[in-house]
Amino acid sequence: MNDIKLTINGKTCSGKAGQTILEIARANGIDIPTLCHDDSVAHYGACGICVVEAEGSPKLLRSCSTLAADGMVINTEGERAVQARKIALELLMSDHDGDCKGPCRLACPAGTNCQAYVKQVALGNTKEAVRIVKERLPLPASIGYVCPHPCEKECRRGLVEEPISIAMIKRFMSVDQLHSADRWKPERAPATGKTVGVIGGGPAGLTAAYYLALKGHDVTLTDAMPQMGGMLRYGIPQYRLPKDVVDAEIAEIAEAGVKMENNVKIGKDISFADYRAKFDAVIVAIGAWSSTPLHCPGEEQQGVYGGIDFLRSVALHDPLPIGRNVAIVGGGNTAMDACRTAVRLGAENVYVIYRRTQSEMPANAEEIEEATEEGVQFKFLTNPAEIIGENGHVTAVKLQVMELGEPDASGRRSPVPVEGKFVTLAVDSVIAAIGQKVDPKGFDLALNKRGIIAADEATFLTDQEGVFAVGDATNKGAGIAIAAIGEASKAADVADSWLKGHIVPYHEPFVSKRTVTAADLADKEKKARVKVTNRPAEERKHDFEPVNDGFSAAEAMEEAKRCLECGCHDYGECSLIKHANRYEIHPERFAGEKRHKDLEQKLAVIERDQGKCILCGLCVRTCDEVAGQGLLGLVGRGFGTVIKPEFRDSERIKVCATCKKCAEACPTGALKIIG
Amino acid sequence: MTARIVVGEGSCGLAAGAAAVYDALKEKLAGVDAKLGITGCVGACYLEPIVDVYDGAGALHRCVRVKPEDAGTIAGAVKSGDYASLADIAIQPEDEGFLSKQTRIALRHCGVIDPESIDEYLADDGYQALEKVLKTMTPEQVIEEIKISGLAGRGGAGFPTWFKWNAARQSKGEEKYLICNADEGDPGAFMDRAVIESDPHNLIEGMMIGAYAIGCSEAVVYVRAEYPLAIVRLTEAIKQARERGYLGKNILGTDFSCDIRIKAGAGAFVCGEETALIESLEGNRGMPRLKPPFPAEAGYWHKPSNINNVETWANVSWIINHGGAAFAAMGTENSKGTKVFAVTGKVKRGGLVEIPMGMTLRDVIFGIAGGIRDGRKFKAVQLGGPSGGCIPESLLDTVIDYKSLQATGAIMGSGGMVVMDDSTCMVGIAKFFLDFTTKESCGKCVHCRIGTKRLGEILNRIVSGEGKEGDVELLEELCNTVKAGALCGLGQSAPNPVLTTIRYFRDEYDAHIRDKKCPAKACPALLTYAIDKDKCKGCSACAKKCPVGAISGEVKKPYSIDPAKCIRCGACHNTCRFGAVTVE
Repeated sequence: MNDIKLTINGKTCSGKAGQTILEIARANGIDIPTLCHDDSVAHYGACGICVVEAEGSPKLLRSCSTLAADGMVINTEGERAVQARKIALELLMSDHDGDCKGPCRLACPAGTNCQAYVKQVALGNTKEAVRIVKERLPLPASIGYVCPHPCEKECRRGLVEEPISIAMIKRFMSVDQLHSADRWKPERAPATGKTVGVIGGGPAGLTAAYYLALKGHDVTLTDAMPQMGGMLRYGIPQYRLPKDVVDAEIAEIAEAGVKMENNVKIGKDISFADYRAKFDAVIVAIGAWSSTPLHCPGEEQQGVYGGIDFLRSVALHDPLPIGRNVAIVGGGNTAMDACRTAVRLGAENVYVIYRRTQSEMPANAEEIEEATEEGVQFKFLTNPAEIIGENGHVTAVKLQVMELGEPDASGRRSPVPVEGKFVTLAVDSVIAAIGQKVDPKGFDLALNKRGIIAADEATFLTDQEGVFAVGDATNKGAGIAIAAIGEASKAADVADSWLKGHIVPYHEPFVSKRTVTAADLADKEKKARVKVTNRPAEERKHDFEPVNDGFSAAEAMEEAKRCLECGCHDYGECSLIKHANRYEIHPERFAGEKRHKDLEQKLAVIERDQGKCILCGLCVRTCDEVAGQGLLGLVGRGFGTVIKPEFRDSERIKVCATCKKCAEACPTGALKIIG
Repeated sequence: MTARIVVGEGSCGLAAGAAAVYDALKEKLAGVDAKLGITGCVGACYLEPIVDVYDGAGALHRCVRVKPEDAGTIAGAVKSGDYASLADIAIQPEDEGFLSKQTRIALRHCGVIDPESIDEYLADDGYQALEKVLKTMTPEQVIEEIKISGLAGRGGAGFPTWFKWNAARQSKGEEKYLICNADEGDPGAFMDRAVIESDPHNLIEGMMIGAYAIGCSEAVVYVRAEYPLAIVRLTEAIKQARERGYLGKNILGTDFSCDIRIKAGAGAFVCGEETALIESLEGNRGMPRLKPPFPAEAGYWHKPSNINNVETWANVSWIINHGGAAFAAMGTENSKGTKVFAVTGKVKRGGLVEIPMGMTLRDVIFGIAGGIRDGRKFKAVQLGGPSGGCIPESLLDTVIDYKSLQATGAIMGSGGMVVMDDSTCMVGIAKFFLDFTTKESCGKCVHCRIGTKRLGEILNRIVSGEGKEGDVELLEELCNTVKAGALCGLGQSAPNPVLTTIRYFRDEYDAHIRDKKCPAKACPALLTYAIDKDKCKGCSACAKKCPVGAISGEVKKPYSIDPAKCIRCGACHNTCRFGAVTVE
């Protein structure tokens, strides 16, 4: 055959006459995306993704089937070709009915792959489960204990009966591994010679330090407190998160190569400028450690504390004096931690003052329930109007009685005072757990309107070159630990790219999502959630031991097996989603009807999810041309066309040699081998 | 000479009741010295059933819209020789113009000869062209003659016929196939059916000339199964041609052998696309193949194949008989000969019209078809079926040739000409044609399968009053992408009705989207029905007709419509005898 030469994207490429543009491009290291082409079968031309521009040709050419000619000048990424490709992908995705990732994984602010680690627990493989969770979360045991688990709220099993106990499974597998001799250990990349200082040893700082160390950077984690752990150690009571679990996980992070220094406070022990000068990059993860004041008269008296200040004093084994009668103000998890700690410290009457009702409380339902069991008295629809004291010490709190008015911006009904209606509660101390603030003193960084460190949402950069900031100290302020961890792991990637000379901002990848209702899952067998029994309230309220023992191995496995496995098994390999992200598509502009999603046909060992089928015909052609069977065909016409066993002839279906070549050829997750 | 009475029995005639007319005539003519026969479709479909009465002198007295009870009148006229007695059913001068203004080549025997009789075909110079070709011309000379004629494919694309024949002839290989595309799928096009039903031997003769020129020994007619009469008549014609030696081995005693068989298609529009047709012929699902290779290189069974449609073949014998130059003398610079149009819709006279290229759209729609009926106004003409476009009044003087029509955004296509008046919503029409192509998409390529679906959904929301700013631009973007990205002609041309209606009737789209109004008052979701209190007599007829009880009032006082209950069916409007129901 004759040699030909053509120019592709400015590069001179040689090939043989009779070869297609795609073949020559690939042989010369130029990737042209395609969804329906495979070298093992004849070209087909259905997807229209492989189109390229050729100089002198008004039409776009399908590179999979157009024979190259000598002297052709091809542009694979020209504006017209890219636009055509993009719209083809948008059209395909507008008709795609599948979940790239399960709703649990999407709901996790750190994007942990819940479905995958739950699956490993179901298979009894906790080591692999921990490896998977640690791709995004280096503190899985601690988080397993404390996380308010937004994943479970979205768990689709909740549409059948109850969501999977994802957090409890995570706690089980991580604790199991903490004590394992054969536990998974991460590999560290070769040293880069770059240094990073991370300020703040809480969840965000630990996370950023861990991932940056694994990327080969020389990381120093600096913290003002005597020990690492931040709020995990100083803000969360022992009965909720045993300190030995925190210690063990911090030790693993140190083992991964993070140098740690404690009792170093920026602005006091070293100026921020001096600290900055020591490192190539700095990550600020100082958290939000100041309690929001109540802003009511009498607040300055002795016996009025901030919630986190109170909790920290307990963690430091030097509890603030609270007396016999304690009022905790607030409805969040910190309020719950404070009231239950007060109970454990021996207070006789512990009140929670909350201006709305129980259903508006942001605290986890189980926290409220357990606090109630432990004797905490809730004063709903009340708000401190004045702290009354004698000789500068609290004796009572005057409460304004409230009622619920119109819903506010968050959708919760706002409390409004009932004019002239007050009650007085005799108390020895008042703990304000209504919020936390950042204390940015000593950091010469730009702040937002609310006095919080301003960091770019995609790069996490502050106004200073090479200074990144994450977690509670930034932007929206205090949130849950897993959110801070999520930011920190993303920031680690960005900082790594910055250190390597070319910053790659974080970009939320496009994923396909299904809309599923309870009716869609009506055929699923009901299987109750595996329950964990708490120690009796009368017993546990007197100590700081964990409220329960968590799952046994058998319970964890049983619970993990309830998972519906919503996320696509092929997400990592799927060409459709790969191209969709490469071309930044917006299929929502073509949103419309989707083909029937409930048509799943089992052909021997292959299950077809029609919602994910893109009709590329590769399975049909592979079955015919490669496997020599010809069992599949396109059925119907137009938009409703589907691929099915041809002629629905059961005798022919039996011929299926279970070669599985069709599933291997499928560019998406439409075909799944089930046998 | 004996009188001859000929009943038009094409599908259109039969649908209008020609069979009953024939039976009645047979009864009334018993014992009368007259010969009763049939013919195909003369093209004046709106006049069917048509009965042609040839008197003893051979003069034609054409009777139209004949009912069985008119049989006695006809028999009486034949018996008495008083043909003036046919005045009541005789064709009117303006209707004669419908036929006399045409130039008939492809349709020259249609409605004239008996399609079931090879002798009638032979009597009108039938098979002379084939004999001339086989006995006096080389294949190259035949192709040259076709080249001189300028004949181009009449199925839609307008590709030069000689070029395809020559490419197939030049292709290497002993086995070559000839295919006739009779899968006429455009809604509103029926010229191919008329040719097969009315003049099947002309098709056979044309195909045999092509087969000789290309070197094929096997030919197939792929005809849609919805044309049962065409299949019957073609089957009979093939049998007769074989018996007389015009088909089969050693045709007319020469070395040339070729036979024809019929393949009935299962009714998929896309099988009119040549490569999808080939797939279907091979027993596969009708889905287009990538081109190249073109059928001339690798077609049926991957052998060199030539495909032309019925109307193209129907011109071939005439060209051989009269010479390519005579054909080329008609038409324009780039489009030669005649073209058959199926004129339908809101015209006074609808049917098949064969005219030389170069006439204007106005000549056809107003000059031949008589303009718009019921006193309404012309609004647009849809050319080329679902693949074509809508042309507005301002372009009615466009000359009919391939290039000029394409410049308007429409196409010649197979010759469907759907005429619309001012009661037609142009957004609705775009949606109508798009619905058709969406349903007929084979599902293979993404642009056509999903793109047309999404176009339809956007149009649907526009006619439902849910259109958004930016929808027209989104339509245009998607249309252009589908045109560029679809695999075959079906998808590539499917956006044409949308693009042309946007181009010429943008104000109607804007009215739907911005004002939530349908200017043609055709989109039910955008109409408001109300009762004019001054005109309403309080007769209660509308309230009784209303299927949802939306109209209430007291007898003899003005009624009113509850817009919340009204489903905009229009029953009240159609019922009111006082014109009191208004539609806005």
